[in-house]
Amino acid sequence: MSTETNLAAKGGSVTETDNASLCYQCSRCSAGCPLAEEMDLLPHQVIHLLSLGEEDEVLRSNTMWMCAGCYTCATRCPNDIDITTIMDEARAKAIAKGIKCPNPDVLTFHKSFLRDLGRRGRIFEMRMMAENNICKGKPFDNADLGRKLFLKGRLKIFPPKSLRGFKRWMKELLKR
Amino acid sequence: MSSRIALYPGCSLEGTSSSFETSVAAVFEKLGIEYDTLKDWNCCGATSAHALDHELYMALNLRNLSLAEEQGYEEIFAPCAACYHRLASANLELSNNADLADALKSETGLNYRGSVKVRNVLDLLTNVVGRERIEAAIEVPLSGIRVACYYGCLNTRIPRSDCFDDREYPMSMDRIVTALGAEVIDWSYKTECCGASLFMTAPAASAKLCGRILKDAEARDVNCIAVACPLCQNNLDAKQEEIRAKAGIPRAIPVVFITQLMGLAYGIDERHLQLESSIVPFNLKPAGATT
Repeated sequence: MSTETNLAAKGGSVTETDNASLCYQCSRCSAGCPLAEEMDLLPHQVIHLLSLGEEDEVLRSNTMWMCAGCYTCATRCPNDIDITTIMDEARAKAIAKGIKCPNPDVLTFHKSFLRDLGRRGRIFEMRMMAENNICKGKPFDNADLGRKLFLKGRLKIFPPKSLRGFKRWMKELLKR
Repeated sequence: MSSRIALYPGCSLEGTSSSFETSVAAVFEKLGIEYDTLKDWNCCGATSAHALDHELYMALNLRNLSLAEEQGYEEIFAPCAACYHRLASANLELSNNADLADALKSETGLNYRGSVKVRNVLDLLTNVVGRERIEAAIEVPLSGIRVACYYGCLNTRIPRSDCFDDREYPMSMDRIVTALGAEVIDWSYKTECCGASLFMTAPAASAKLCGRILKDAEARDVNCIAVACPLCQNNLDAKQEEIRAKAGIPRAIPVVFITQLMGLAYGIDERHLQLESSIVPFNLKPAGATT
């Protein structure tokens, strides 16, 4: 821990978003963000809005949905704000508030992934990818990629080992 | 080496990137580094768990960490950079945030004292194996091969932690590749993001990022890009033809795992290296090779 001011890292009910007020708007996060050009609000603008309490504008933006989770911003922030985790919290809040996702393919993928994870405890890539295609309404998306990987023996046709008791364990966890 | 190491393979190494697992196994056998595979491991949640549900991501990784502790391991070795990042970040948060740790433990029924250390392949090779042993196992020096070492994001970027290497200009892989007898180049994209899971969800954005990485490597006249992450390998390799066409890159560039490159220098059989499983073929023979 490099600063004493990181509220979220100290625990309790404090979230990473509460650390937004530590920002002094140097914009280093936005300068280094590899996806900045795809975002309607830049990372430093997201942090600014959050520290002003303007959460709704953030939750309606596409910023957290275009974030790749590379942690460049989080590791460069001079005030040690974990901006990447703030993006995670913004995604969760937008879903909880029922705000329409501006990049539905991103949300559909994460849901397909977690559904597959919940089945066995390990990802069955081929099924996950096929199911994701169906859920996003593009059944032949990445068909060429799938064919190439399959021909190279990289796309396994049998599911991985199923972990005993995992399905129920994760179901209980998600019920909380 | 005294401490017991558990390999955490993760889903990619058992699936689309099995060449990483087989080359890790062959290279570490040659180096005399013993490890077991963690029993009963579950998926780390990759990007999807932490992207939507922080507690789910923490619980998934708590399960793996507590399995390692229970099975008597002091270290987890996670070759996949994403698995490594999740395990190490969760480990750090569990030790820094006692309230969250206690809540998770009671919710999941898992116990974890926090005794396990998490390492990735570059950390393990640099700080446990060391250059001397890496060099001692060489049979065919990789002379005449120019390599761009690409670290990606997740091997070096765990917030609020001490990194095993420099975050902004890491050198651990460069030193390993140099030790193998190959020539490494300086370039601008060694830690720039390839787009990670956006490859699947926002392919145009990811292709732009991959195009820049490949373009810089190509301009520096390399024979291959070396990586230590299945996502980096897949994103730069699998759709390279389309990416090259869009970005105007004249030549294909093979993307290999660092352990595949090591295996080549150690004279390890192709059966274990699976160089042929890459979409862009890597058929370079080192100048010192006899066949």
